Amino acid sequence: MKVLRIAAAALLLLLCTGVLFADVPVREEQFIYSILAFNGRDYAGTFAREEADTIYLVADVDNFITVRNVFVYFWPITQDWKTDTSTLNVPFEGTLELGGRQAEPEKLGMTPYTYYNIRGEYELNWKVAKEAEAEAAWQHYQGLMDAYWRSVSEYYEKRAAYEAMLNELTITITRMRNEGKDVTALIDALRELKAPPEPQYPTEYIVPPVPVQKAFILNLPVGEYQIRFFTEDGQIMEGSERRIVAFEKRRAEAIGLEVIPGDKWTRPVESKTPASVLYIDGSTDLYIRPFFQQEYNDLFYEKMRKNDAKGNPTLMKWVRIQQVPRARVEVTRPSLESQMVLEEPFYVEQVKGAALGYQIVPFDPEGKHKDREPSLQAFHVPISKDQRVIRLRVQDKEGQYLPSSQRQIRIVTPSRIGIVSLILAVLPLAVMIIVMARRSRRYTS
Amino acid sequence: MNHRAHATTVLAKRRIVETLISPGFYVAQTIGLVLAYLLVAGFVRAIDSSGFDYALNPAYELIGRSLVGAFGATFVEKLFSEGPFLFTLYIAFLPVLLYLAVSSVFRFGLEKKVGALELITYGPADGTSYFLAALIKDILMTAIYLVVLLVFLLIAGVLNNLILGPSFYSSLIILFFLSVAIYSYGIFASSLTDNSASAIAVFLGLILFFIVIMMGSFTVVSGYVRNLASVFAWIIKWISPLFYWDLALRVVQVGNWGMYLVGIALLLVLSAVVLLISHLTIKARGVRS
Amino acid sequence: MIQTKNLTKRYGKFTAVDQVNLNIPAGEIYGFLGPNGAGKTSTIMMLLGIVKPTTGEIRLFDEPYSPKRLDLRRRIGVVPEKHPQGMWTWMTAGEYLQMFAELFGLEDSGKRIDHLLERVGLAEVKNKKFSEFSRGMVQKLSIVRALLHDPDILFLDEPISGLDPFGVKQIRDLILEENREGRTIFISSHILSEMEKVCQRVAIIFSGKLMAEDQMKSLLTTLAKDREIHVDLEELPADLAAKVKTLDFVQDATGEEKTLIVKVPKTGDYRKALSKYLIDQDLVPLSIHEKSLSLEEAFVTITKENINLFAGIGGEK
Repeated sequence: MKVLRIAAAALLLLLCTGVLFADVPVREEQFIYSILAFNGRDYAGTFAREEADTIYLVADVDNFITVRNVFVYFWPITQDWKTDTSTLNVPFEGTLELGGRQAEPEKLGMTPYTYYNIRGEYELNWKVAKEAEAEAAWQHYQGLMDAYWRSVSEYYEKRAAYEAMLNELTITITRMRNEGKDVTALIDALRELKAPPEPQYPTEYIVPPVPVQKAFILNLPVGEYQIRFFTEDGQIMEGSERRIVAFEKRRAEAIGLEVIPGDKWTRPVESKTPASVLYIDGSTDLYIRPFFQQEYNDLFYEKMRKNDAKGNPTLMKWVRIQQVPRARVEVTRPSLESQMVLEEPFYVEQVKGAALGYQIVPFDPEGKHKDREPSLQAFHVPISKDQRVIRLRVQDKEGQYLPSSQRQIRIVTPSRIGIVSLILAVLPLAVMIIVMARRSRRYTS
Repeated sequence: MNHRAHATTVLAKRRIVETLISPGFYVAQTIGLVLAYLLVAGFVRAIDSSGFDYALNPAYELIGRSLVGAFGATFVEKLFSEGPFLFTLYIAFLPVLLYLAVSSVFRFGLEKKVGALELITYGPADGTSYFLAALIKDILMTAIYLVVLLVFLLIAGVLNNLILGPSFYSSLIILFFLSVAIYSYGIFASSLTDNSASAIAVFLGLILFFIVIMMGSFTVVSGYVRNLASVFAWIIKWISPLFYWDLALRVVQVGNWGMYLVGIALLLVLSAVVLLISHLTIKARGVRS
Repeated sequence: MIQTKNLTKRYGKFTAVDQVNLNIPAGEIYGFLGPNGAGKTSTIMMLLGIVKPTTGEIRLFDEPYSPKRLDLRRRIGVVPEKHPQGMWTWMTAGEYLQMFAELFGLEDSGKRIDHLLERVGLAEVKNKKFSEFSRGMVQKLSIVRALLHDPDILFLDEPISGLDPFGVKQIRDLILEENREGRTIFISSHILSEMEKVCQRVAIIFSGKLMAEDQMKSLLTTLAKDREIHVDLEELPADLAAKVKTLDFVQDATGEEKTLIVKVPKTGDYRKALSKYLIDQDLVPLSIHEKSLSLEEAFVTITKENINLFAGIGGEK
């Protein structure tokens, strides 16, 4: 037994030492195009390495491209290419030649820019500021933040003073009570003592402006273009030729539904295809969040997000853009009147006791959930197995039905009645036997 | 009625009767319907509180992973967005399509070899009326089976609280016209060759070629392979029935029913062109092996 | 009825049929003979419109013929050598015939089918499946099929091949009967003895060329080098042949068992003179008849001569 344990330990050790000899990804110095592309929702970064011949960008929006020298390596665990900018990250200044937009190729210079998303009813209020406006936007944001941090400092000072006063009053009241003195005035003073208000974080932005940077800004109509990079001394950077595909959405303003099942609230699914049907087993309630979506070419969109991604060039996919603000969901059940469901906050409570699990309950900010944040905001659709079909439809804040927002929820449970289908499936064989028997009987020799 | 039409009608009637009293068609239907049953039953078992998850059923997990690997997650999402019936339609249709197409190709080659075609042409018939009769038979049997399959799936849907969505119906209709084009290519393969084995080889080779080119431009492989497939696809698409099938289904997604009908019309035009070439080939090569 | 003029078929460099001129009169039983590879099948295929001639002309019913002339094709009935194996086996004889009747657009074909089946002795098996028919029954059914639309010409390719003697006689009788009703019959067969019994006119094709075409009797007479008179006697004296040889009209005489065989010139009738001589010798002729050249012998003669001809010039065509 002891020998076995030693052998097992030795084996484990050997396996672990394998890690020491694991292949280290090979880093290769490469000229890349670093891309900050707008994907319909936000700006996300990717890069086009030397072997990538095409860059994909959404048309008619500002996209930012820089040129740099970095280390590139293939990460086998996630099966994709990555850059190591911590070791090497040399940006190039120069000119980008753009062909295909006009008769003659254009020469683009690097432009200072920043981008930000202003808070509003809709999530997407992206703005791009260039040149002097960029600096101004940045400075404005800096000003807001400076003011905020100043108010935070003031708050802490005031808070410290408040707490000191509170402490002193409490000590004095206690001492005077013990001495049998009248503390009424002091108590009144204590009551009137108010904590300083906490400073509010600036809410002007959902995404604040990034520090002003320089890049080539490409805002291209739908089409194909060619780019190549000229260094500051006017020389073409070898290997910098790339094709650019600017693509647009095929359809927009369709509605998708994020569906959060009550028993798997951290794993929502999305119902994007307009005619799709949601088949569920009816074991739990659903929490719905409708969103706007746009339709893009699968391959183009995936490669826009990550240049090395794979996609299907002949398929269109729906991309979630933003939640529908102040929506209402009409829920229709058979033989019942339609109900209008509003968005409400909910809280996920752990189930008490030894059993693992949780339950989703309405958020009670004044009661048991005071000083907490809701776990989710959604539209609650109760489900019961005796209601086989539930129809949903989304209205906007004006009460107008949103196109392609209809969905059906159908409760499906395996049952023995399905065996009827199997019997029907072999019915042709029965027909065959009857037909052949009749013919045989008719023409028996 | 002109002589060719008359001869075609007479021969078609016999072929239809022969098919209806032979076991092959019924066996093919049963295979198709049993596959349909299994796919629908498997789908029902792969549903949980959040919807369809192919990982919950072993057969569907295999199917799902294979399809995702080949065509991407978007493809699989769209395929099952309305339920199991779109996928089931194609899988359940395949046995009957293959049976009718391959058996007709086989028969034509065999009948040519043993002299049946020659015998028919001693009368007021010709090779063209002979193959048109086979085509009519195949079309009618296909229509019968599609109706049977539709009724079966409707019943399966009612029993399991599943519905047949718009993609299903648009695919059902286009599948009928796609099969006409495939049967036409079967006749073309038969007209080119002298015996059944060669005819089947040519036919299956052609269809496989169309499928590979179509899938090549459909898959998520990148780089050289996809580029090569795209070049081939651009050349082949004009004669590939799968191209018009794909076109019709894509335009119907955006509600363009006009172009959908154009897609159907183009499939019929392609079939007519292939049949015309077959007619000229038979005329030039004769009905004797 | 059928005429061909310089009918030629080439497959690449090979000439299968070379300038064949046929003349098949109406109402005759016409035999078309030739060894394998002679060009028989190619010629027949061209006459039936299955194969297109390379050059030459075919006239049918005094009109230029091509496969497009359906009106002319409807007047031909064809019985191929073999019925397509495995075809239409699911049908009964009645259903099979009904299909062809419909192809020809025959109305009220039921009666005609019954009548024809009766004629060939297949009435009782009308509802029997085709797959259960014997070779002979299939052949007869094939003839019925070819007669359904009452054609003016009946093409028969090896009609009695593989049949038993009873079947052979039935087909022979049928052919003769159809001819008596005015139908022109075109037969291609290897069985020359049968051809000799039914054909009124024959054509012999060899290596793509038409070697001979004539009335049967004329052909045999023309090809015969000499004549033989066979006399059957009660007893054949040993020296009789030698004695008969001395007669001035006798070219040669031999004896076989009880038969005296005398070769005489092609012209003239010497049976009376011979009979008188034998009677003078106190012999009683039991029978006396002239033996003419058989078709088989004529066929071999024609083709052998040509083989020798070709061999003499080194086999070059």
